[in-house]
Amino acid sequence: MKLLEVKNLNKTYGHGETQVHALKDVSFSLDKGEFVAIVGESGSGKSTLLNMVGALDTPTSGSVRISGKDIHAMRDKTQTVFRRRNIGFISQAFNLIPELTVEQNIMFPVLLDYRKPDMNYLNELLSVLGLESRRNHLPGQLSGGQQQRAAIGRALMTKPSLILADEPTGNLDSKNSRDVIRLLKETGAKYEQTILMITHSRNVAESADRILRVSDGIITDLGRHEEV
Amino acid sequence: MKHYYSYVPISAKIHKKQNRMTLLCITVAVFLVTVIFSTVDMMVRQEMNHLIAKHGETEFQSFLERPGVTTLYPVAILLFLFVLIAGSLMITGSLSSNVTQRTRFFGMMRCIGMSRKQVMNMVRLEALNWCKVAIPMGIVLGTAGEWVLCAVMKYVVAGEFSDMPQLGISITGIISGILMGLFSVLIAAERPARKASKVTPLSAITEAPSAVVRKMKNGNFLRIESRLGAMHATGGRLALMASSFAISIILFLSFSVILQLVDCMMPQSVAKADIEITGDRSDNDIDAAIMEKIGQMEGVKHVYGRRSLLNQRALSSADSNMETVDVISYDLYEMECLKKDGILKAGADLSALKENGYSCFVISDADYKKGDKISFGDETLKIVGQLRYDIFESDGLSKGRTTVIVPDETFENITGIRDYGMIFVQLKKQNSDETAALIYDIVGDKADYYDAREDDTYSTYLAFKICVYGFLAIIALVAVLNIVNSISMSVSSRLKQYGTMRAVGMDEMQLIRMIRAESGTYAVTGLFTGLLIGLGLNRLLCGYLVTSHFPYEEWSFPVMEMCVILLFIIFALLLGVHIPARQIKGMSITETISAL
Repeated sequence: MKLLEVKNLNKTYGHGETQVHALKDVSFSLDKGEFVAIVGESGSGKSTLLNMVGALDTPTSGSVRISGKDIHAMRDKTQTVFRRRNIGFISQAFNLIPELTVEQNIMFPVLLDYRKPDMNYLNELLSVLGLESRRNHLPGQLSGGQQQRAAIGRALMTKPSLILADEPTGNLDSKNSRDVIRLLKETGAKYEQTILMITHSRNVAESADRILRVSDGIITDLGRHEEV
Repeated sequence: MKHYYSYVPISAKIHKKQNRMTLLCITVAVFLVTVIFSTVDMMVRQEMNHLIAKHGETEFQSFLERPGVTTLYPVAILLFLFVLIAGSLMITGSLSSNVTQRTRFFGMMRCIGMSRKQVMNMVRLEALNWCKVAIPMGIVLGTAGEWVLCAVMKYVVAGEFSDMPQLGISITGIISGILMGLFSVLIAAERPARKASKVTPLSAITEAPSAVVRKMKNGNFLRIESRLGAMHATGGRLALMASSFAISIILFLSFSVILQLVDCMMPQSVAKADIEITGDRSDNDIDAAIMEKIGQMEGVKHVYGRRSLLNQRALSSADSNMETVDVISYDLYEMECLKKDGILKAGADLSALKENGYSCFVISDADYKKGDKISFGDETLKIVGQLRYDIFESDGLSKGRTTVIVPDETFENITGIRDYGMIFVQLKKQNSDETAALIYDIVGDKADYYDAREDDTYSTYLAFKICVYGFLAIIALVAVLNIVNSISMSVSSRLKQYGTMRAVGMDEMQLIRMIRAESGTYAVTGLFTGLLIGLGLNRLLCGYLVTSHFPYEEWSFPVMEMCVILLFIIFALLLGVHIPARQIKGMSITETISAL
């Protein structure tokens, strides 16, 4: 069974003359453990696609199945809980909660489930992410790279089967960008997670297992970067 | 554009939606003051014209010098200041939120060379710019409100307000409204202006928080969303929000004392007579036949009489100092009115008085219990109840005298007296003038006839009550507006954060619980502070205004007011949470994250 199956996904904004077809009949699938990059020019529909896959927005038509479950057929609460436990989201702007420390930010999705966080796993994550010495710091006290690593930690804490990353290196310098991508690949491989990442960086795209191009709302599977 | 502050009206036009609440707060504050001062101005004008026309200028002067009226002046000023503080707090909350949401903008201004003083002036000018619309709106609404109130007093309350001026314009009210608007905005703008001036140029280019962020402590006691919500409530906003709650509670508890004062100054009785017929007080010399005749008349609703026997040597089982007693007879109707008027102390047994002829109510400064006895001559009367105060004395104190009230039949049996000392008549509304004339003819020169209809204070009493209740309602409205506005602003300033939380898996109910926890923290803090100060002020004002003039009215814990306050806070919280929650529900997660 494919981990992610997207079938005939459409998203339209607005009405009449101002109507915009952001996604046009998008279909693709991902296997478990794959690392897939999405590329495309600005305004092509990449973020819209990621938002549909992550159930952050509702498609006009089509379906998104994760581990066989149609996420847009779920009720809001079920969908939210599903997202909490099965999808890790990393955005360009970090979006950490300013009042929570690094440790608290990372364990936040687990706390939302009213579960006690696995402290061994948390410590392991902090070690892998290089944030052990920063665990009690607030986001405002961290550099951009550290904040993004904390955001990655939050995305990984519930051991989700799918990680969605929207230009995670967009606000980082080249060294931090390389570190973040390396981390994502390592943790993805270690915990057998599927990663779907939007990127503008050729280097990042080259490190992916497969590349999907979105152009004017239409998706094209470009295969592996050697084949492009 | 010639000056930097020409940007102010341009910005106001673009950010009209965000500034709506602030405009509303200023308008409400101006409206409040305008309607109150305009209405009072009209009432004073009406009373002045009425008294001068009837009695000359000296009578109006003596009205202004009455103890009850002069005591109100300092209290009125104090309460006006409270309202000014409440209005300023409300506007400060709005302005502060507005500044917090524009940290990057102010940082950018500093980047391009705006000095701290210029930033402060810009914030002050922005606030004053809203006055351009809010003050005229508040004055127009306030004047319209005054017209409505005057019409209500003229046509609904009527009586001595039947010649209230209509569609009057009060310069006092208008000037007060303008001053209220300007002062409250200038006071309110000070803190946000200073806050804006402290924004560094770096804020324009970094995501660093402009305010100090405190860490949330770990804990197992509350759920994560409740802890976060309570955390959001702490910090600078808590003092502002809690003050809003507290000020409203303090105002409410303070104004409720005025209601008590009005009840004492103008006691209303169900037994109030339209016609009073009196003989010589020490003699019961009005023929009982007169009462029977009057009782049979078509236009008479009730007729009841009193007889009295004063200074009878007596002994009391409860008061060894008592030497004499005054015995007064009451008609059954008048006794029932004692109960309806709330004049009897708790435990008084009216039915025992009806059943057992040798029972009585007692009026005394000493404390009597049911079952105590008073003996005079060969008669012994059993006490079945006591009055709260002496209804025959203006200050309610008996000053050593003891009076017993017995039923008509008992008085006749004890004394053998059948004629009356006083007769009271309540007329039906229809043809009351004709009925009064007929009664006058019946009484003739046998007794003194007095038409008490013009002495009716009910209309004044009702007008006062309407004004005070109206003011209490406005206090509640202002507080609700402020609370709803502040919670909305707090939610708006964290919209992006809420979007992120939803993206990582916070569901709608958890989000609402978080907002509720924040609101609940404001409410509990404000309630505690408000009650602490408000109850103290309530007790103080009660002593100063009420007990000092009416010693029998002692302070009691304002249970009813407390219940109203609690209900109102719950309502304000529910509304305060409902509006932003509805706003968030309507937005998709991506919209929320992208929100400014």
